[in-house]
Amino acid sequence: MSQRSQLLKGILEGCILSIIKMQPTYGYELSMKLQAFGLFDVSEGSIYPILLRLQKEKLIIGEMRKSDTGPKRKYYQLTEAGHMQLAEFIHQWELLKQPVDKIIEKGVN
Amino acid sequence: MNSKEIVQINNDKRKMLTAENLAYYEDMLVYIRLNNVNKSEQQTEEVLLELLEHLLLAQTEGKTAKDIFGNDLKEYCNEVIEEIPGEKTNDIVKFLSFVIIQFLAIISLCHGFIGFGLHYFFDLGAGSMTFQLGSGIIIIVGYLILLYLFVKVILQWVKRTSFKEKKAKKWVEFLQVWIISMVFIGLFILIPIVVPDFGKTISLPILTFAVVGIILYLVSFILNKKYRITN
Repeated sequence: MSQRSQLLKGILEGCILSIIKMQPTYGYELSMKLQAFGLFDVSEGSIYPILLRLQKEKLIIGEMRKSDTGPKRKYYQLTEAGHMQLAEFIHQWELLKQPVDKIIEKGVN
Repeated sequence: MNSKEIVQINNDKRKMLTAENLAYYEDMLVYIRLNNVNKSEQQTEEVLLELLEHLLLAQTEGKTAKDIFGNDLKEYCNEVIEEIPGEKTNDIVKFLSFVIIQFLAIISLCHGFIGFGLHYFFDLGAGSMTFQLGSGIIIIVGYLILLYLFVKVILQWVKRTSFKEKKAKKWVEFLQVWIISMVFIGLFILIPIVVPDFGKTISLPILTFAVVGIILYLVSFILNKKYRITN
């Protein structure tokens, strides 16, 4: 596993929750949004095992419904527990982000 | 939407894949379905449809299954299977009881009607059947174990043929399945011969088996309707 994919593994879950929070999303759209935000090298399919896990943990809920453009698709939305998990992720991320940035900055100079 | 409806959509949509993507996708589909023992059928079919939808949309951009799911499709499928939640044990028990009852019904029906027909129309065999209760039970249990092994072996065989770059020739595959089937049919015939006689002797008119078969079949039919086991 490359260093990048190792780093990304834990973060991706938070990113997915965050995107689903913006509006109910289906798999393909979700992977396109991740890429649009710059995570292009995440293989598109890698979101599906994560989506299954998030459903199992009851953080998101999927529902087959008709899309605006036609076919029935499985749309995901956050559950109450999902909202809490996302808030916790954001909190933990903030706690990590600044110290790590500072350490790296010191190292570079 | 229940899993059967999702399977139907999957069957229709799959036709829109290119030949190359269809080959990849069908390998994944077979592998995931075969490995979903103890897994929720509903969740399995939902994720299979999502993967198909994704592949169809990506296909319009000229992508292949390997671009989307990575180069090791088998490994990818294992990751997906790992995350599919388990089926309730209750459903598995229901399904197994259904299979066993229906299997016994078919054996009993065949035995009853063929035995009856041979006796009354061709004067072959006896109008009643005498058997030992102990041996009878052992034979039935042996049949059920054999049926289980047969299903296992066939599933294993199908699984082995997934994700092969080079597909085996049709006639080779046919021959393999034929040999497996012959071995099992041989064992089915062998079991009553090798099981020794013991237990209480019972004598029943051959038609009793047909009646028992019909009753068991009705029971399996009602169970299926009530609990929607196969639909």
